[in-house]
Amino acid sequence: MATDVFAAVDLGSYELDMKIFEMSQKKGVKELDHVRHRIDLGTETYATGRIPAARMDELIKILLEYSRIMESYDVSRYQAYGTSALRETRDIDNVLELLRQRTGLEIDIISNSEQRFLDYKAVALNNEGFSEFLEKPTAIVDIGGGSIQISLFDHDTLVTTQQLRLGVLRLYSTLQQIQTGYRKYPLLVQELVDSQLSVFAKMHLKDRKVQNVILLDDYVSPVMQKIKLGMEKKGYAKASEFIGYINRMSNESIPDISRKLGLAQDNILLTYVSGLLVCNICEILKAETIWAPGGCLCDGIAYEYAEKKKYLRSEHDFEKDIVACAQNISRRYMGSKQRSETLQTIALNIFDSMKKVHGLGKRERLLLEIATILHDCGKYISMVNLGDCSYNIIMSTEIIGLSHLERTIVANVVKFNHDNFEYYSDGTYRFRGIDKESYFTISKLTAILRLANGLDRTHRQKFKNVKIQVKDKELEISVDTMADVSLERGLFEGRAQFFEQVYGLRPIIRQKRL
Amino acid sequence: MATKNTNSGKEKTLDFYNNAYYINRELSWLQFNARCLSEAKDKATPLFEKLKFLSITASNLDEFFMVRIASLKDMIHAGYKKPDIAGMTPKEQLDKVTEAVHEFVKEQYNTYNRLLLPALNENGVELVRDYKKLSEEEADYVDRYFDEFVYPVLTPMAVDSSRPFPLIRNKTLNIGALVKGKDTEDEMEFAMVQVPSVIPRIMEIPESSGVRKIILLEQIIERNIQKLFLNYDIVCCYPFRVGRNADLSIDEEEAEDLLKEIEKQLKRRQWGQAIRLEIEKGFDKRLLKILVDELRVEEKEIYTIDGPLDLTFLMKLYGIDGFDYLKEHGYNPPAGVVQLPPDRDIFECIREGDILMHHPYESFDPVVRFVETAASDPEVLAIKQTLYRVSGNSPIIAALAKAADNGKQVSVLVELKARFDEENNIVWARMLEKAGCHVIYGLKGLKTHSKITLVVRKEEDGIRRYVHLATGNYNDSTAKLYTDVGMFTCAEAYGEDATAVFNMLSGYSEPVAWNKLTIAPLWLKDRVLYLIHREAEHARNGEPARIVAKMNSICHKDVIAALYEASAAGVKIELIVRGICSLRAGIPGISENITVKSIVGNFLEHSRIFYFENGGSPEYYASSADWMPRNLERRVEIMFPVENPELRAKLWHILDTELKDNVKAHIMDANGEYQKVNRRGKDAINSQKIFGIEATELVKPKDITESRVFEPEYRDYHGL
Repeated sequence: MATDVFAAVDLGSYELDMKIFEMSQKKGVKELDHVRHRIDLGTETYATGRIPAARMDELIKILLEYSRIMESYDVSRYQAYGTSALRETRDIDNVLELLRQRTGLEIDIISNSEQRFLDYKAVALNNEGFSEFLEKPTAIVDIGGGSIQISLFDHDTLVTTQQLRLGVLRLYSTLQQIQTGYRKYPLLVQELVDSQLSVFAKMHLKDRKVQNVILLDDYVSPVMQKIKLGMEKKGYAKASEFIGYINRMSNESIPDISRKLGLAQDNILLTYVSGLLVCNICEILKAETIWAPGGCLCDGIAYEYAEKKKYLRSEHDFEKDIVACAQNISRRYMGSKQRSETLQTIALNIFDSMKKVHGLGKRERLLLEIATILHDCGKYISMVNLGDCSYNIIMSTEIIGLSHLERTIVANVVKFNHDNFEYYSDGTYRFRGIDKESYFTISKLTAILRLANGLDRTHRQKFKNVKIQVKDKELEISVDTMADVSLERGLFEGRAQFFEQVYGLRPIIRQKRL
Repeated sequence: MATKNTNSGKEKTLDFYNNAYYINRELSWLQFNARCLSEAKDKATPLFEKLKFLSITASNLDEFFMVRIASLKDMIHAGYKKPDIAGMTPKEQLDKVTEAVHEFVKEQYNTYNRLLLPALNENGVELVRDYKKLSEEEADYVDRYFDEFVYPVLTPMAVDSSRPFPLIRNKTLNIGALVKGKDTEDEMEFAMVQVPSVIPRIMEIPESSGVRKIILLEQIIERNIQKLFLNYDIVCCYPFRVGRNADLSIDEEEAEDLLKEIEKQLKRRQWGQAIRLEIEKGFDKRLLKILVDELRVEEKEIYTIDGPLDLTFLMKLYGIDGFDYLKEHGYNPPAGVVQLPPDRDIFECIREGDILMHHPYESFDPVVRFVETAASDPEVLAIKQTLYRVSGNSPIIAALAKAADNGKQVSVLVELKARFDEENNIVWARMLEKAGCHVIYGLKGLKTHSKITLVVRKEEDGIRRYVHLATGNYNDSTAKLYTDVGMFTCAEAYGEDATAVFNMLSGYSEPVAWNKLTIAPLWLKDRVLYLIHREAEHARNGEPARIVAKMNSICHKDVIAALYEASAAGVKIELIVRGICSLRAGIPGISENITVKSIVGNFLEHSRIFYFENGGSPEYYASSADWMPRNLERRVEIMFPVENPELRAKLWHILDTELKDNVKAHIMDANGEYQKVNRRGKDAINSQKIFGIEATELVKPKDITESRVFEPEYRDYHGL
């Protein structure tokens, strides 16, 4: 059948969310069903790192029901993702195995940056107004339970993305500890968030003005879908009117607000806290317009799948966002753009020329590209400990769209470009959480990057125009240059050795003089 | 969310909440029962239909005692003093209601004795008045019947110091006797025997004199009571009947297993506090004193009956052979639904457009067929349904079980709390579970009263959802007697909402937004109030404003106050309310634009249809909910809009014809009393008859050449 029924499951910290979609080339992506079940996985897990047995039973019960619902739509594929609560569970592998045994569902864990990327993808793919909105300087503000993510865009490209521990549930529980009337919330929220937001502004905003805010959240977005705040289109609001509206909320009783908005009373305070948070963010960004397109992680999961299956095509290039993000990190640590570009050209050239040999795909090519961009970021800290410093910078910087594993791969490739390669059997801490397959990706990409690096030893871009061919047991690198390449040739041996070790091919340089 | 005071207008100088503008719901219900009784008295009603109506008033009254009077008594015992909608305390209500019930019972037996018995005699039926006055032959037959069939199932019980007073079950008919030991000088003792419910209440004595004689079972037993107490002399014996408090109140927090709890409650219902004692006229004083002491009933709870106790036996009398000509034949049997011919695929028909059915004029079969087809259709993935009251041996239950058997995902919400049906419900709920259905036994603290079915089907171009929404239960038996509307649709907006309804019933969070449906208890009350307020707003702006609302009962104070306000603003409001109506029509300045009509006829009016003029772009709704607090605040109910112009025309025709009804309609006067509509020489309009004729006309073959089969007509069709 031409239609595909797909289920997306989000095992969040406070809610289990599932959406069922119908997809086809003709009709695109259509939502069929949306079930949400409250379950507090976060509170205990954040505190103890474990999911208590009773919660586990509850989780299994709900997942079994979900699996039954999937059956009732004859779902052909599903993707279930666990987010922060599961991510922070120490014994997550056994938990996932137990869930698989009991419910038959395979659950994957995604990192914060992947999760945010999916959220962002959902908006981009689900809304026609997206590119138009992105023409002006825009921030995507993604508010989660534990943290928020602010991503800045300029001219359709991502400038920076930062995670701040200012999630709405985190703020709310702090406010509850203080035990004060909610009339004081505006002041308290401001005091709680101000320090982090102003650091963010100093580091990343400078004098930039961000006109548009795209808001992704669970509590304010439904309100914005229901009321008009100075804009014609649904879900849009003038920032000034929005701030006024949230401020007026403190004068009304919760049942009144609940009735007017048609929302559950339980959620009103969370809506209020979220609203105040958004106000503070808008003020610091100097935003003029807010757009709450709605949608959730499940949408992102579905759109990712639809994109992969070519049910959907987007004008927006998401890989460009990931690359742009890496470039910004490089810029922040004063990496040389020219040098990266040369390295990138050579490395990708080698990669493309030996597809049959390495068997790696598009995604690994992207990782290689990012590794070339970030290859020297550690220099900013130490010229001597370049490898370690680069590794640490990459490991502690979020690159939107990359999973934690992918980031670890990039960090290792960059490190081993400078330092001695460590072997899997050495059992080094660097390989913690890395499976054999990823290890091979690291060694393969490292071999290519080292080779490329060796060809541009002098940083003078002598090897910019090279032809690379696999011939028998050799990798022939033909270069058209009048320049003297004796240094490269001389130092080539050491790098070639590792390459041969990995690929069983001996790289040789042939110089054609014009 | 429900807030107390929704009356927020600013021009309030009138107090629409004034108690004087409201009628107590129990008294209003008694008025409804009186309207049923008036059908039994109506000259136009055929004799045997009169028997049926009188029987209905009796069984109605039984339920009223068990539930309503019982709950008033509970309130008084609990010291609950909160006044009702009309400002009466429970004590005041009980006094008034008891007084009215005594009046009503008198009226019932007047009808029975003065109207029905003579008329039966005229038609050759005689109910034996005095069991002592039978001819020898008759007496012989009756006594033999007693020996052979009755005696074996009787359990006579005597009371003395060693044997305690027996349990007298709710609603059972019993014979109490004073007995005296033979050959002893002992005091008189109390003895009793229950009139068995397993033997027919009426028995026809073989005809000998050209008159068909009917004798009641209790009379047969009384005649032979000596045979039960051989060692005693019978001083006197009389029938009596006890009504008990039967209102179920289950503490769901404590009830670990709802099923078990309900079974326990059902047993307890037999022993609830006695709240009514019916005795035959001439009942022995000494015997009465014993009963009063043991049952602890008050003076005013004793009803002295001039005739046989428990008139529900008249329904059995209705069923005896040979009196077809004294029954109603003017109403057509259910006709087929034109849009859903039996030889076509039902899903295909629904895909062609929304279909509205008006039962019982149009057959309920398509609804059964819908579930049955879904059960065996290979394309169907899932069936979800709410079940409130279903018939015994329900084909729908069978189809659901079969569907589960065929590997479909079947989810059923079974409302165990449906009053008086629990016993029934438990049995088949278990059966469904065994068949592999996913059964939800209701929701904590809420009754699920909505009627909705969802069928998910995987078709060539993707998943399609078929929805049936209705005002009446999925009960193929009552669907022949109750008037209801039901709609089939496969429009996406309804399908999404139906999915969301079942998600909520399964315990998942509410959807982000609803497309079409409005759900109680969360949104419906506000929605109804909004629709009424909007109409008032239109009237104030000089735009067309009118409300026509048909339902079973209306007694929600906020809703009525909103209607008063709308009326005062100039909205024309026509209510068609079959049962309880706490609203007073025609109060100057308050409700002079409101009329209340009540139709009590051959079929039980049960549909809820609402029309709002909305300044010239009218909106039509149908719903499972009445405008009562329990429907709007404590039940899961659905109100759905009807948007297709043809379907709207059909709904309008229903409302319009009922508004014009001048045969079976009563109108509330300024005193809150109901009067039959004065026809003033106009043609008789009996809406229920008209709907039946129209439905039959629709399915008739257009031309004789089309079917090439002659259709003979029978006498019955003409009521001859």
